[in-house]
Amino acid sequence: MPASAKKGDIVQIRVIVQHDMESGFRHTETGQRVPRDIIRDFLCTYNGVEVFRVELHPGMGANPMIIFTTVATENGTLEFNWSGDNGYASKTTRQLVVT
Amino acid sequence: MTINRRTFVLSAGAASGLTSLNALATVAEATQAADKILGNKKASVGRVTLVIPPLVENGNLVTMRVSVESPMTKDDHVQAIHIVAEGNPLPNVVSFYLSSRSGRADITTRIRLGDSQRVVAIAHMSDGSFWQGDASTLVTIAACAEV
Amino acid sequence: MTVAAKVFVCWVVCSVLVLGALVKADPVGEDRQSSYELMSTDTKAMQDDPLLNPANFAVLDGQALWHEATGKKNVSCASCHGDAALSMKGVAASFPKLSTAGMSLLNLGGRINQCRTEHQGAVPLAPESKPLLSLSAFVATQSKGMPITVDRSASNAARLDAGERLFNLRLGQLNLSCAQCHAERPGQKLAGNLIPQAHPTAYPIYRLEWQSVGSLERRLRNCLTGVRAEPYAFGSKELLELELFLAWRARGMPLESPGVRP
Repeated sequence: MPASAKKGDIVQIRVIVQHDMESGFRHTETGQRVPRDIIRDFLCTYNGVEVFRVELHPGMGANPMIIFTTVATENGTLEFNWSGDNGYASKTTRQLVVT
Repeated sequence: MTINRRTFVLSAGAASGLTSLNALATVAEATQAADKILGNKKASVGRVTLVIPPLVENGNLVTMRVSVESPMTKDDHVQAIHIVAEGNPLPNVVSFYLSSRSGRADITTRIRLGDSQRVVAIAHMSDGSFWQGDASTLVTIAACAEV
Repeated sequence: MTVAAKVFVCWVVCSVLVLGALVKADPVGEDRQSSYELMSTDTKAMQDDPLLNPANFAVLDGQALWHEATGKKNVSCASCHGDAALSMKGVAASFPKLSTAGMSLLNLGGRINQCRTEHQGAVPLAPESKPLLSLSAFVATQSKGMPITVDRSASNAARLDAGERLFNLRLGQLNLSCAQCHAERPGQKLAGNLIPQAHPTAYPIYRLEWQSVGSLERRLRNCLTGVRAEPYAFGSKELLELELFLAWRARGMPLESPGVRP
């Protein structure tokens, strides 16, 4: 995402996270099922307010990548939260300067 | 105990019958999943564009883009977009929750497609109505796989 | 010569000529093409954009490992080699090559492990392990865009010839050689997929089929499984000779590492 934008501009945000997204449908060579282990939720907040949310299911590809947009309303912090199976949690933040 | 040939062939036939029933069931399951999203409403066809490459080299990572015609204002915006796959073991693939702060309803992501199939995108509008679009694709598998 | 004998000789000569026409020669020079060109627009875009390229995580992990002190001598790659962007430029494009002592043929992974044992006093990394692939991806990408510089020399000639023999050797239950698909029939289809010329210009790759990053050795073993042959072991003489021949065959072509392939 850009570091700054004019008020009212639509900002494109691209996020990607490293995660195998084990669908639960794969089998090992000996025929055992590899247990499901995926990211379930993505949440983007803008100064603490939810602006975009995603519910992920096993049909999402590995290393989930999402491109979405949000309106630049004010200076602030965008927070990106991923959470999933087996207590997986990952957070990143970015500053957006809005003129 | 000897299993005579006829019994073996019959049981093999029954087993393959079950497999094919399973494949058909996913379209029905997908319809069920869509119905669950729609409640007791119907989705109008239009306003939603779902773009998936018509021929996919590998179903493990397929780039998909969904966009909905909408002013995205407080009074008129897309509140959610649900992606349902007719040929995957689980029909629900992903759900996006947008708001009037989204600016545009235009999202790109990467999904898994287990087989050649039709994928449906259902958009839930702020006024409670539903619109949908779909895309069909052919999924090929790699030659010279690992095992 | 009798009429029958003449007819027979004529038939044999004609068949050979016809068969010769059907069988193409291995593409050389300008006719060579990276398998990148055979991919769909989306997959090409996935390789080109570091944000979209799943192998980029391996590059980032490799960068972290580059700076991590390890082994009995507790030194990092960076302590000798400094900034990889400078010191590793062109390095990956020169592999496989003979070790400095001239005794063993090494690919990039083998050279990384030699550095680890000799200069860091560390245990070699297992083949196809995440740390080895990450370091390989990090080092390889420093040569991105540079031509492969593997050439025939007096010292590698024997091994290069061995690699060429392997490339032309019919193997497995399907009794196919690498050459039959990749030298004679590239651009034709095998089970719905386009056959590439098989130039190793993008390794290590994120193969969508594997859903992970892997080396050329892993891919070659897949090919062998594909013709239903017993795959050569990781680090085997055969795989290294084949890698040497493939790199020589691709000399001059630019490196794309890390690549994405279906």
